[in-house]
Amino acid sequence: MKRVLTTCPYCGVGCNLYLVVGDDGRLAGVEPSAGHPVSRGQLCIKGWNAFHFVNHPDRLTHPLIRRRGRLVPASWEEALDFVAGRIREIQDTHGPDSVAVFSSAKTTNEENYLTMKLARAVFKTNNVDHCARLCHASTVAGLAAAFGSGAMTNSVSCVEEADLIFVTGSNTTEQHPIIGARIIQACQRGTKLIVADNRKIRLARLADLHLRHRNGTDVALLNAMMHVIIAEGLADDEFIASRTEHYDDLKRVVADYPPAKAAQITGLTPEEIAGAARLFASADRAMIIYAMGITQHSHGVDNVKSCASLAMLTGDLGRPGTGVNPLRGQNNVQGACDMGALPDVYSGYQRVTDDAARVKFERAWNVRGLSGEVGLASTTAVDAAAAGDLKALYVIGENPALSHPDVNHVRAALEKLEFLAVQDIFQTTTADLAHVVLPACSFAEKDGTFTSTERRVQRVRQAVAPIGESRPDWQILCQIASRAGYSRMQYDSPEAVMREIAALTPSYGGIAYSRLEGPGIQWPCPAVDHPGTSILHVGEFARGRGAFLPAEYRQPAELPDEDYPFVLTTGRNYFHFHTGTMTRRSRLLHREERFPYVEIGPEDARALGIRDQQWIHVATRRGEVRVQARVTDTAMKGVLFMPFHYAEAAANLLTINALDPEAKIPEFKVCAARIRSAP
Amino acid sequence: MNSTSLQQVEDFLHSLASDYDVRAPILLPDGTRVLGRLEEGPLAIPGGPVDSKPTSPFFPQLDRVFAHRSGRIEMQPPVDKALLVVGLTAEDAESLAFIDEFFASDYRDDVYFNKRDRSVVIVVSGRCGKDDEFLKIAGGNCDLEFVCDGERYILVPYTDSGERLARRAPEGEEGDSIADLQAKSDALPDDDRRVLERASRLLQEDRVPEEFWSEIADRCIACTACNLLCPTCTCFEVFDWAHGEEIERYRLWDSCQLAGFMREASGHNPMGEEHIRTRRRIHHKLAADRTRWGRISCFLCGRCDDVCPSGIGIKAVAREIVRRFGDGDHSRATA
Repeated sequence: MKRVLTTCPYCGVGCNLYLVVGDDGRLAGVEPSAGHPVSRGQLCIKGWNAFHFVNHPDRLTHPLIRRRGRLVPASWEEALDFVAGRIREIQDTHGPDSVAVFSSAKTTNEENYLTMKLARAVFKTNNVDHCARLCHASTVAGLAAAFGSGAMTNSVSCVEEADLIFVTGSNTTEQHPIIGARIIQACQRGTKLIVADNRKIRLARLADLHLRHRNGTDVALLNAMMHVIIAEGLADDEFIASRTEHYDDLKRVVADYPPAKAAQITGLTPEEIAGAARLFASADRAMIIYAMGITQHSHGVDNVKSCASLAMLTGDLGRPGTGVNPLRGQNNVQGACDMGALPDVYSGYQRVTDDAARVKFERAWNVRGLSGEVGLASTTAVDAAAAGDLKALYVIGENPALSHPDVNHVRAALEKLEFLAVQDIFQTTTADLAHVVLPACSFAEKDGTFTSTERRVQRVRQAVAPIGESRPDWQILCQIASRAGYSRMQYDSPEAVMREIAALTPSYGGIAYSRLEGPGIQWPCPAVDHPGTSILHVGEFARGRGAFLPAEYRQPAELPDEDYPFVLTTGRNYFHFHTGTMTRRSRLLHREERFPYVEIGPEDARALGIRDQQWIHVATRRGEVRVQARVTDTAMKGVLFMPFHYAEAAANLLTINALDPEAKIPEFKVCAARIRSAP
Repeated sequence: MNSTSLQQVEDFLHSLASDYDVRAPILLPDGTRVLGRLEEGPLAIPGGPVDSKPTSPFFPQLDRVFAHRSGRIEMQPPVDKALLVVGLTAEDAESLAFIDEFFASDYRDDVYFNKRDRSVVIVVSGRCGKDDEFLKIAGGNCDLEFVCDGERYILVPYTDSGERLARRAPEGEEGDSIADLQAKSDALPDDDRRVLERASRLLQEDRVPEEFWSEIADRCIACTACNLLCPTCTCFEVFDWAHGEEIERYRLWDSCQLAGFMREASGHNPMGEEHIRTRRRIHHKLAADRTRWGRISCFLCGRCDDVCPSGIGIKAVAREIVRRFGDGDHSRATA
């Protein structure tokens, strides 16, 4: 029996926990880390059950190659040769950009770095991306433009220092539960809370003000709040004058959003909007917390920029208890972005279009001809596959056949590929379509680091031996690189990879495993003697002056009409994670939410004669699924909510492949739907 | 009585590792104290309640019940080496005695007693809590007790196996009796106990309205830690895993704070609403168990209050009950 300290593999809060290893070498439980500065001995239900899927009998234990239409066991030698060989063949015929690689927010920083290195240095393409495209691509773009850094500005501990917390588009107690609980505790101590979300989430029950605005009307709401703040002289003029630019642009745009006008768009009353503005502006320290409700829109970047503007307008940046705080959804989605598993940047957000950056990486990697063209996003890569332009895809730890919008479109695109390789811990819906499946190790079987939502780089430690013949992703990546003829991707350990990352990535310059034995370090950490940074933009923004980047309200791509009278919005529930590959194989988590369901408000249910737990069909213009009705006042009249965890009734069969023009993030939060009783 | 230094206690425990599967308070790298094996880290005998569930050596989070191979069911055999668990507090030992009774009643739970039988339990008490806090002397509910006078540990056996073990202990100084320490223990404030008793009576008298439980439930994020760390929570879920032809049956800590805990196959759930589940957690310990077992089944170890992310551990809720429904009993109850 032993206990191994590591970082939770679920959301981005970054709780630390001990994996308890039994005498039989299998995981036997979890114990929280009492000394961790963020989790403080606390975990949510997923954390308490984080050990369970690791030893599940369904784990992939050997490579599989498709022969005569069936995936059959193969040796590692065969499988690796097959992957490297097929990608090379396809590139020889169709050029380097005929191939794309999907990295994973579930894998470590080291593995994300190696994935982008494999794509760029070995396969000479910038077609590398990961699921941040589906969650916070809007944040990365929007906050980078406004502040110069696309990450959470403050720290989790700031929740306890805020006078007011404005939670918008974040079901925090379910998706970042330990942060949600801190908000609950703060409210008990008198912190004011505004919740803007038309679902009556737990935090809404405790809020001083709950704004149930229509889906996708955030820009109108935020513009009107800023209109009131400016009109009533509540803005922080000194902060605006000394720290920001383009304020006149903001004033001009929001002047056209008086509360009465915004009320018509949002469905709120003018008084609610003005009340929220006054409450927000009256706080000395106001903190904005947001998540997918802001980002997953065809105007997600506008939403993010508007949140940034609101915080700058009242001077709520660069101080404890303030900030614009996107909560990252996956354990290492922050790190995957930091590591450059994105089509436009190397690690540390160094642009592929910047000649100096390209030369720097060519020298470091000892290669020539790195591509200077921005690559495909994971969403546009699927479109390219559908169009026949993308020929090969190597998917690591992601499940686009379930996680991307309009999965009929995705499936058709994946089936059109000449080559699909999937590397994962379970046989996923995507892996079912693969030509080769590589069995990877879970978080419990390897070393590395994850970076949490508050930019905290933390250790992941191996607790148990790899299951079956599975291998750590970093080793598989290196073995493919080697087979593809590249010799400069050989490492003894993830620690050696981190040394290379630190040398090439300014914000990680001071990160070293020897410094991560404690609670981790928050980037930017440019040097080995730098303590890390808990609050960004103190005194000066990363880009110098903060930029007001006002946006006009734009409607979602598809709104209800006579044929499809409901708004359908999607997300996660508390017990499951994304496509459910891990949580649906964790006994208690699966037991809690066994069936796919749709939340519908009592009034709508009554009008349609739908009972709670009745099986119904939900349809959009893309498809139809059969789910249980959950009649609940959480849902606002006219709005349906579906979690996307269930392969047997995929919410993403229904969602629309409408993208934000800049961030290429899909509009998971709004499409038009109808319902009917199921036989 | 034999009184030994901390170093002697530690050496003694190490000397027992050849005969026993020793589980003792171990300091893990981040400061977490758990009941672990000696090789897991430095011993941390002083420090009060360990962070982990103190009854977990006998009732772990995941436990194999049996395996089905070649048409035969092979029950999990008793442990090879007897467990020696040191580092429980007096409250933990009371909890253990309670679940001993529970697991032995009606039918005997072999999976539990495969570990609990032959085990030896040692309580650590006296002036060795966190920040020098004085820990209540158990005076029983264990085989042996190490009572700390601030410097040395006095060995007090209560059972035959405790006597045998004490005889193997290194010869320390002939210590004083523990009378003075016992007096100190007896004089420890019992405010929390009185609050719990008062809340228990209010619950039994049905004086806590539903609205109160809704308020508390609104703050519950269903992390389940209150149950998982509670030394008297014994609920588990059962599941099977098939590895090829072999099937293994396991049991896993469960929580009454989860909707699925009581959901019927029909989908109907008698505990389907959050406030009913929140009420049950408190009511079970303070009222139902008092009726069933003759005593409140919270022994005030404090773990649920320490670990609850949103501040609704049993002590916090009991204080709130007494404050709001205790008929002006406020000052006494929260003293």
